[in-house]
Amino acid sequence: MKPVMQWLDDDAGRRALIAAHPESILVSPELPLRANLSVLDNIAMIPEYRENLAYDAAADRAWALLGRVGQTDIAFRRDPDLNHEQRFVAKLLRALVANPPVILVDRPGMLLPDLHYPPYLENLLARLEDLPNDCWILDYRWNAPLYPSR
Amino acid sequence: MERPPVPEPVKRPIVPPLVKNLELKIGLLLSFTLLLIAAFALYVLHARGAFEDTRSLVLIAENAEGINVGMPMTFSGFPIGKVKRLDLGAKGEVRIEMAIPERDARWLKQTSVFLLEKNLLGAAKIKAYSTDLGDAPLPDGETRALLTGDIAQEIPLLVERMKGILTNVQAMTAGESAINRTLGSVATVADRMAGEYGILEGVLGGPEQAMQVVGVLQKTNSLLAHLDGVSLKVDGILAKTDSQVFGPDGVMDQTRQSVAKVNAILGDARDSLRKVDVILANAQTASADVTRITGNVSAATADMARLRADVDDSLRKINHLINEINRKWPFARDVEIRTP
Amino acid sequence: MAFLTPFLTRRGAGLLGTWRIWRDTGRLAGRTLVTACTPSAYNRATRDVVMKQIYFTAWQILPTFTLFAALLAYVLIQIVVTTAANYGLSEFALEVSVRMLVLEILPLLTALFVALRSSSAINTEVALMKIHGEIEALEDAGVDTLRLELMPRVIGGVVSVLALVTVSSALTLVLAYVAVYGPQLWSLPDFSRVMAKVFDAQIMLGLLLKTLAFGLAVTVIPVAEGLATPRKLFMAPVSVLRGMVRLFFVLMLIEMLSLAYKYI
Repeated sequence: MKPVMQWLDDDAGRRALIAAHPESILVSPELPLRANLSVLDNIAMIPEYRENLAYDAAADRAWALLGRVGQTDIAFRRDPDLNHEQRFVAKLLRALVANPPVILVDRPGMLLPDLHYPPYLENLLARLEDLPNDCWILDYRWNAPLYPSR
Repeated sequence: MERPPVPEPVKRPIVPPLVKNLELKIGLLLSFTLLLIAAFALYVLHARGAFEDTRSLVLIAENAEGINVGMPMTFSGFPIGKVKRLDLGAKGEVRIEMAIPERDARWLKQTSVFLLEKNLLGAAKIKAYSTDLGDAPLPDGETRALLTGDIAQEIPLLVERMKGILTNVQAMTAGESAINRTLGSVATVADRMAGEYGILEGVLGGPEQAMQVVGVLQKTNSLLAHLDGVSLKVDGILAKTDSQVFGPDGVMDQTRQSVAKVNAILGDARDSLRKVDVILANAQTASADVTRITGNVSAATADMARLRADVDDSLRKINHLINEINRKWPFARDVEIRTP
Repeated sequence: MAFLTPFLTRRGAGLLGTWRIWRDTGRLAGRTLVTACTPSAYNRATRDVVMKQIYFTAWQILPTFTLFAALLAYVLIQIVVTTAANYGLSEFALEVSVRMLVLEILPLLTALFVALRSSSAINTEVALMKIHGEIEALEDAGVDTLRLELMPRVIGGVVSVLALVTVSSALTLVLAYVAVYGPQLWSLPDFSRVMAKVFDAQIMLGLLLKTLAFGLAVTVIPVAEGLATPRKLFMAPVSVLRGMVRLFFVLMLIEMLSLAYKYI
């Protein structure tokens, strides 16, 4: 999964971009995890519904994804017990497990406020490099200096 | 930033489910609920006689008031069937189709009588009476009349009848009533008979008249004595006297006639008293409370007041009962029962 | 005239809002019923959630509720039996108790109990889900929230009201028998006769429909009200308040309609 930068000029542009890709799944600060389910169940729920998988199979798939990003220890925590990075990982994996063509990471600065997030994102996505999905990072142009020049 | 080492894949720990044996519990609850519903439905069907062979009996009544579908028919207080259908016959009569379960049909005979009983309060009842259980059984689909015994309709009738009886009794016991006068006459006659000249006084109406008769007899006697010596003439005179006393218009003849009249009067008195007897017997059947009054003729005059008081008392009781019912029953009607 | 326009606008907006929420409730009920009757809507996950909902709304409260209902029923039956005996109308005591308790009080009581316990919770939860955007998030991830979150609650509500009514009614019938005839079995034919008189096909069907309507109301209304909450946190209590009032209104309306149908 390769990160693709989508530079935005303003909020209206951001909204327009999201609306133009309804098939994509959004990782957004405005779309929280289901509060009464653990991270594992939050992820497993998606294939359970979309593919009628049995819980065990779905949970295995979720567990494997958590294992790939090295976060199995948050599997049984619920949303209030997570920090920003963990919550971000959970949201990303929830999007990823549905296997959409495009995942939109909406305003990473807001999702990961306590970090220098560009390297963190790069690092995280590198672990999922072999996956075929696109990952678009929607960030404002004025945050561009935060990203390492390539 | 350093890339953390990829950890060895760990097997997913199996967390115990939030609820143990969830499927079992829910299955249990659902099946128990469905079982209860199904069992209840079956039970009600059974109670409504869906699994029972019934034979039908058609009862004909004047009106269907108080009768409704599902109403039981009782025999000796036990339900042995119920109303299945009600409809109006060709002549405006009500046809009540009863369903009698096969096992209860043995209580109904050819000679059975069916009665619709309506009470002051509560539902009407259809009752079956079989006096002779050895009779031939009632065949399926038979038609019988349904007799009505309506207590509520009976009450005004009963009160009317009581009023009539009481008026009669009052008329009989009044000072100027025929029976009183008759009894007074009887008393007078009896008094006279007890007087100095006995029955003669009674017959003739007073001591003077009796004295006159006695005087005539005495004079006759003296005449007889005076004419002792006279030979042929005496016979003639005697013959004359004879005809005077014993002839068709003679004194004795008149006396006999008077006695016959007294006899007739006494007969009338007896008739009147017998009538009182009958009326009192009627009164006896009319009300349970009245039965305490005997139909005894001799006690009649004395008992009239008591009878009156008792009847008043029972009417007061009925009144009280009706008032009580009215008080408890929300649809009050102005019902009062008064003695005349 | 100038003051009238804003007034009418406000009134009109209020009326429209009221109409909209009732319409949404009706739509939600229809969609839920259609989904619930679609076999393909059930996969293992849905079944699991449905079972959990039934567990939380019915199984958990079954013993307590049954005990409470039995106590209440026994007291009421005793009152009816004693009063009827005082007026010499003992023969009607059983029929009156059964009609009063099984046909009217117990279903309503159950619905109110479930409303107090579960409907308020459902309303709060759905309102908070709506306010936080969890529903939106799930929809975005391709999960049909109707199937996942809403329908299981409705089924749970219907099933629990039905189960609670059934169990408590069955117990009440037994209690009524004991209260009227004493602890012996010989009067069963008499009892059956009264039962046959009270429960005809219409009454049974009516009771079932009423119970199902109660079950639907105690879940569909809070869910609809929760879904209609504006995405502002301070609206959560308002949403619950509105939902509960509307639920109470609808429960009473159902009861009134059923009474009117039966006795008028």
